[in-house]
Amino acid sequence: MIQESPVDVVCLGVGFMSGVVATELALAGNSVVGITKGPYWDYVNDYSTTKYDEWGVGLGRKYDSPLPLQSTTIRNDSSQFALPVRRYTMPIQYHALGHGVGGAAQHYGGGMGRFGPWAYEMASRTSSAYGSGFLAGINPQDDTHDWPLTYAEYEPYYVEWEKAHGICGNYNGSPTNSPSDINYPWMSRNYPLPPHPMTPLGQLFQSTVQGMTAPNGQKYNPFPTVSALSSQPYTNQYGVTVNPCVYEGYCAGLCDYACETGAKANAAYRTIPAAINSGNFTLVTNAYIFRLELSPSGNQVVAAHYYDAQGNDHRQPGKVFFNGMWGYNMIRLMLLSGLGTPYVYNSGTGTGSGTVGRGLTNGYTPYRGTNVSGTVNIGGNSYPAGNGSGGGVSVFDLMDDNFSHSNISPPFIGGGLFGAGGYLGGGPGNITFAGGVAAPNTANPNGAMGSAFKATQQNKYLPTKQSVGATPFAPDLPTFMNYIDLDPHYTDAYGDPVSRLTYDWTPNTYNGATYLVNQIKTILTQMGATNVTVSNAVAPYSAHNDWWGHHLRGGLRVGTDLNAGTAAAWAALSGYNQLYYNSNTSGFNYFAAGEITNTTGNNATAGTHAAGPQSYRAAEGIKKYLANLATGSIT
Amino acid sequence: MVSQTRREFLKLGLAAAASAAAASGIEIPLLGNQNSNLQNQLNSANIQMANLKTKLNTVTGFVSLNINEQSLVEAIVETIIPSDSTGPGAKEAGVIYFIDRALAGDYGQSANMFMDAPHNPPGIPASAGPLTVKPSSAWAFLQNYQQTAYLRSGTAISYLGASRTYTVGGTNYTVNYGITASPRVGSGINLQYPVNMREFWRISLAALQAYSRKYYGGNYQTLSSTNQMQVLKDLWANTPKTQTNPPPPADDLTGFSNILASDFAYELTFMTWAGFLMDPLYGGNQNMVGWDYVGFNGVNFGNFYGEGLNQKTLMVASSPTKLKPASLAQYQQQATGGA
Repeated sequence: MIQESPVDVVCLGVGFMSGVVATELALAGNSVVGITKGPYWDYVNDYSTTKYDEWGVGLGRKYDSPLPLQSTTIRNDSSQFALPVRRYTMPIQYHALGHGVGGAAQHYGGGMGRFGPWAYEMASRTSSAYGSGFLAGINPQDDTHDWPLTYAEYEPYYVEWEKAHGICGNYNGSPTNSPSDINYPWMSRNYPLPPHPMTPLGQLFQSTVQGMTAPNGQKYNPFPTVSALSSQPYTNQYGVTVNPCVYEGYCAGLCDYACETGAKANAAYRTIPAAINSGNFTLVTNAYIFRLELSPSGNQVVAAHYYDAQGNDHRQPGKVFFNGMWGYNMIRLMLLSGLGTPYVYNSGTGTGSGTVGRGLTNGYTPYRGTNVSGTVNIGGNSYPAGNGSGGGVSVFDLMDDNFSHSNISPPFIGGGLFGAGGYLGGGPGNITFAGGVAAPNTANPNGAMGSAFKATQQNKYLPTKQSVGATPFAPDLPTFMNYIDLDPHYTDAYGDPVSRLTYDWTPNTYNGATYLVNQIKTILTQMGATNVTVSNAVAPYSAHNDWWGHHLRGGLRVGTDLNAGTAAAWAALSGYNQLYYNSNTSGFNYFAAGEITNTTGNNATAGTHAAGPQSYRAAEGIKKYLANLATGSIT
Repeated sequence: MVSQTRREFLKLGLAAAASAAAASGIEIPLLGNQNSNLQNQLNSANIQMANLKTKLNTVTGFVSLNINEQSLVEAIVETIIPSDSTGPGAKEAGVIYFIDRALAGDYGQSANMFMDAPHNPPGIPASAGPLTVKPSSAWAFLQNYQQTAYLRSGTAISYLGASRTYTVGGTNYTVNYGITASPRVGSGINLQYPVNMREFWRISLAALQAYSRKYYGGNYQTLSSTNQMQVLKDLWANTPKTQTNPPPPADDLTGFSNILASDFAYELTFMTWAGFLMDPLYGGNQNMVGWDYVGFNGVNFGNFYGEGLNQKTLMVASSPTKLKPASLAQYQQQATGGA
């Protein structure tokens, strides 16, 4: 075993969350170590030419977490044998797991809208609006709770987060910008950068919905889609300079969303450079964390253990450990280390006990879900123009509780962020087989084979019309039956159990889709779309076949009550434990991500954004904790 | 079905050198004047090389598929993307070379797949014994172990929508095989086979050929184009397993006894389209005929050939602009100041 020098703060994983914590703490004069299992990607050398290589990047997965090292298993319910994920989906549009500095955010479209006030108080607001039994009635084995903090308490952290990462947008879509404005999460400060140039489809969507009445009886309020890709040169509060997007495309789908200019926000190009410049930060790459070493009493973490590239065991002691790892990797590390109380599901009673692994939710749409599609007479270049998330227009009017859910059948809560008009970025594989090659079916008797299908691909990248559509769904709600634990059969390359996901769609997702799809159908029809068609095919078990790995959330709650939630907001932590968790695992309040897409999609990765302010809160809490430690007020 | 042109390339033994040179711009050095005959051959080879370089990234010759597999795969990919009046197909794009190289590389070696046992391939026959997993080079270095694949005995499942119970360590587990799923088998938890993808193709190609002979009266290559398509559709529908006229013998290759036929149909279809549309660097999409067909510009962002356009304008346009495509090799040559 190799002993490393003790430091003040050890960051486990170096993605978005650790980027904030490491930078804030290092700039405040603390010694910080960040440990990541992958390399430090350099966009100039690693992405500037090679990202245009769809086969190597999108299909060979050369930037992604290697499955031979570690995978996960998945099943739909606790009675099943969980099968391991053997291969990244080919094609892979939705399964980019991070590897190295920046983590999963090296591979996202850049959707970065805020969570609104309702999301933080989903349980209590639903109860007061529709009755105390409403949630339990629509969500079997319901385990939904409010966050311990409100949106208003997180708002200042959102501002810091948006400054650090150079978020583009314009809140002027909000009619009043007041805290009482239900059409928009109130913002004390506009986004630091203006939106990207709008596409013709975005303009059509905007002008159409401006003249339409939303379900709440008011006019729709469209606004430029919020994006984490810088639209202009920018310098953040840490002095890190940011290149603007060059719109060279090759972003979506098979190109794995790698960004060759660093315009797309992630820790590697926004926060970590400042941490390194401070002189107080040590970055350890290609290091696979496998255990947290606990004190004899079990209420303190003493050290983190990791394997280096040669398989040597390193021991890294510290005063504070911040877990910024990917969602279920974080859960797995805690379970492997005996930290916290493992969640145990009781299928007999339909409840569970324990906290670590509880409340797994999904932040993305059922692949074969309810959907609506049509065609508009706007052409364009479907070849790799554009970027991953800019250029579109969105509305909040079909989201959260921004319309009444009374008397809707089947019942549901929440809704989705809808928008249209994002750029058609992507390489050649993206449009032809981003969703996989089709089996023979009624519409295409030979599937993706033969002359008839081939003819549909001729000049497909030079469309004179565009397909528009949406696969909406309402928030996935936490339930006792969806959770994470350790798999009893499969191990990683070092012989440790992999994580096991027990998950199926909750009824709220597809019940909401049934309602939302018709609202969007009305919008598409008003836009002048032809052949507007609704398909309603959501059913259980689709999750088993499509692994939506990087959109899964939950498994560890943010909480102030340490008996209810293992992860704690900082206020409750001082004096208890050295661990701080990011809220990306607090999925019980995840919402949104309904979406309206053109052919390549305008993604909504809003869950990332909800974790952002939590990382600032954690950084603040760690500073207080270290100060208390220094004064001896805690031991 | 192997073309005369290809045979000549094979005879000259230039395949590997041609591919390397075309992709990277490396020149083949002359070896001196010791042997005029050799020199003449080399001169001839260099002329051929020069001709090849004028065709962007054109590769020929095989590094993985054996002689029987070559003609079979060639016939299959030409069924999936036929050359027709609308334009070139898999043949002109050299899709078979793309697949051949992929099978020899990471794809075929399952180099980025999780291969930990136990394996639960659907439809494993009761008579099958344990197999040993062959670790791919990519993960063998991590731990030097050979794993035993636990092949389950029991009733073969009838695939989609079916359930099957496995007993592991005294506990029964039920596996549901996609209640609503179309066989989108590239995803996630599919491909639970205790063999790598090269081996999967080897077994599956032999099974396809056996099936073709038994139910369509001849090798796949000899069938009518209608029947060739029907064989592939049978695979998509997992028909080999359920054939009744006559039923395939239990555990017989003809019935895809160890492979879910739709898994293989997916790989065939997907890899053919990939070979048509991926960068020529990987052996397919030769002369960028695939990109030209679909109207894709490659890495021409508007000014590669001096067109004077830019992406920021193109991406907000309301009508399309066709650009002459450029390949990754061209892009990298331009970036490094090369030709």
